[in-house]
Amino acid sequence: MRKLLQYLLEQGVATQKSICPPLDDDAQGLPTLTASACSGSSCSACQEACPTEAISVAGSESNEARVSLDLGCCIGCGLCIETCPTGTIAENRSTQTAASRREDLVLTNETTELTARSIEERPTIFANSLHARVVSTGCSSCDLEIGAAFNPIFDMERFGVHVVASPRYADALMVTGPVGRGMQEALKRCYEAMAQPRLVMAVGTCAISGGVHKGGYAEANGADSILPVNVYVPGCPPHPWSIIHGVLVAQGKSTVGPAVLRTK
Amino acid sequence: MKLTRKQVILEDLSNALKTATHEGHCRLGLLTSVDGTQLCSLVLDPTLGTAEYWETPLRNSYYRSLTAVLPETHWFERANWDLFGIIPNQHPRLKHLLLHEQYKRGFYPLRPQPLVHERAEDTDRQFHFLEVQGEGVYELPVGPIHAGVIEPGHFRFSCLGENILNLEIRLGYVHRGVEKRLTEIPWTKARFVAEAAASDTAAANALAHAIAIESLFELEVPARAQVLRTIALELERIAMHIIDIGGIGTDIGFLGFSTSMSRLRGKALGLAQLLSGSRFLRGFILPGGTKPVSAERLAAMLHTCQQLREDLKPVIAILEENLVATERMDSFGKVSRSLAREFGLVGVAARACGIEYDTRAHFCQGIYPKDAPPLSVEQNGDILSRTRVRIAELWRSLDLVEKLLSETCAGATSTTSSCIELPQQLPPDAVAAGIVEAFRGELIHLIVTGEKGQIRRYCIKDPSSNNWTALSIAIRNNLIADFPLCNKSFSLSYSGNDL
Repeated sequence: MRKLLQYLLEQGVATQKSICPPLDDDAQGLPTLTASACSGSSCSACQEACPTEAISVAGSESNEARVSLDLGCCIGCGLCIETCPTGTIAENRSTQTAASRREDLVLTNETTELTARSIEERPTIFANSLHARVVSTGCSSCDLEIGAAFNPIFDMERFGVHVVASPRYADALMVTGPVGRGMQEALKRCYEAMAQPRLVMAVGTCAISGGVHKGGYAEANGADSILPVNVYVPGCPPHPWSIIHGVLVAQGKSTVGPAVLRTK
Repeated sequence: MKLTRKQVILEDLSNALKTATHEGHCRLGLLTSVDGTQLCSLVLDPTLGTAEYWETPLRNSYYRSLTAVLPETHWFERANWDLFGIIPNQHPRLKHLLLHEQYKRGFYPLRPQPLVHERAEDTDRQFHFLEVQGEGVYELPVGPIHAGVIEPGHFRFSCLGENILNLEIRLGYVHRGVEKRLTEIPWTKARFVAEAAASDTAAANALAHAIAIESLFELEVPARAQVLRTIALELERIAMHIIDIGGIGTDIGFLGFSTSMSRLRGKALGLAQLLSGSRFLRGFILPGGTKPVSAERLAAMLHTCQQLREDLKPVIAILEENLVATERMDSFGKVSRSLAREFGLVGVAARACGIEYDTRAHFCQGIYPKDAPPLSVEQNGDILSRTRVRIAELWRSLDLVEKLLSETCAGATSTTSSCIELPQQLPPDAVAAGIVEAFRGELIHLIVTGEKGQIRRYCIKDPSSNNWTALSIAIRNNLIADFPLCNKSFSLSYSGNDL
């Protein structure tokens, strides 16, 4: 035990000081849309490359071309960024990607500025203390990233967030995974057991839309179809900082941050 | 590896499998079906590094269960019932595995034609737990939602006092229809779904998928890709072994240790991110090769990898030298070698019982079987043995990654491409499998194509499908308080099993 204490003291503080900084240079971020003109449906390379039908391109003339990108369906594979010849789709290195409205996750090249559509920042009743019950219905990498958000590097507890082992103690229900038929009843009962006021956070692309699983016989189409969702955290899985950003949005301490474009 | 079909008639199947696995050197990789009108067995021969694919036509939707002869088939037979409606008569404990009350009676997702019921009595989809009777015996239900941040599953303990007499595990809560989805989408996009089968095992799933697809085409990927794939596979093992060893600390109440491990896991994930851009190696391995990686990144990885080893040394030593911790693990959660063999355990759980089976030493995956790391084996089959196997494997994987990185940084392969183009159309009427040693053990992806080259059947066999039974065996006659620790020492996947 003495050895352990000595070791821990020697290691010092591992926690990152800056809150929700941009992703490291070597990390793949989510895509975003820029003001660069898209060449329209004559190209559609991004739409064809996308494994989850998150992108749709309409309009044939280059000046009327409309692209719509649903981050709630995006698994961040980066294929659209690679294939886009016009630079309309670019990589967003920001970790401040959580949103409180589903429609805020749908970007179009007519309104590229994310912040313009985000709602006012207003601390909620949970601003200083938020107890979360995590319910996993998916493939575990989102759960691991929630776990990582509590490690000494990210230290989510400093924002007043704690994971609790019962819905009775919980203010927020964090849902990961696409909520297939097997988990729908359990998830509903967990929500009903929570005292009001309560929040629901959909963490990860599966929880938002079903991701790669949506539309199948297991009806794994996301938490939205079962419960009212207050905060959406896109990503497959979202970075721990993005999960923390989601909590800050739930607490009313942050809104969707501006995109940080990768410069090539 | 590409496989040829071998016909085995139903009357011979039981004996043929028994001969191959009991008297030969073979093991049963998986038992499934393509469309419900046949049984397909994948028989692996580790000594030769080969596999045979047997097809057994079924005249009816039932047959005599193989479980009595081959206990390792009990889980597969339950899955086949749910997915295809194939009923194994006289199965000792036939229960639903994947689809429960939420699904209609007679719904079999992987059977193209609806089944006309030939037997009236088959099922209401209720799950009946084994009832242990006797004075003072009580049941303790846990789940599907667990106290911690993990995947869902239900455990039903039958206890006498603090002693667990029986544990029955009900899974299927995270069934998402992965296998069906893989037959519906173009194969060029299938890799993202294959990775999501269990995305803590993304690299191994992607590798098994890629090997299966490349085997269908009978194409070899460039040497550089093989090396990069191996690095990815081992990085995943390093990161997950770190969290699993750290998790043991959490359940013992040795929190300073587990916190330190979770901090160091961040470094391992940083290595994965340097290689692939993703902390979970998502999208890095693809059919044809890997995504490109620059020489600078590999050099940076070599440096971080050496640092990680130095950082891990004192922390792991703290666990190994702590008597309270080691005694807490010693001789709890035991699985005997004979039961481990009977139920066909794989991975860390098998090697902790003295079974020398690691697919890296036998089947082609990345650079393996050449240069496969030495086996890490323990004899006791308890929690301590499993932890020790993990620790040994962690060091060996670090050795290997370091060696490969320094060779790649120095070698001539650094300028060659790491990916080849594959044709758009899969070859028709072919069968291929990818076998990979994921951090949990033997992972198999099996692909059967149809007459137009479409994927007729995509079967994933996660290592957890073999090992869930072991958890039930191990916890018998232990205390309820031992369960979290025992469960952690197996570190099984719910999503990989449920698909």
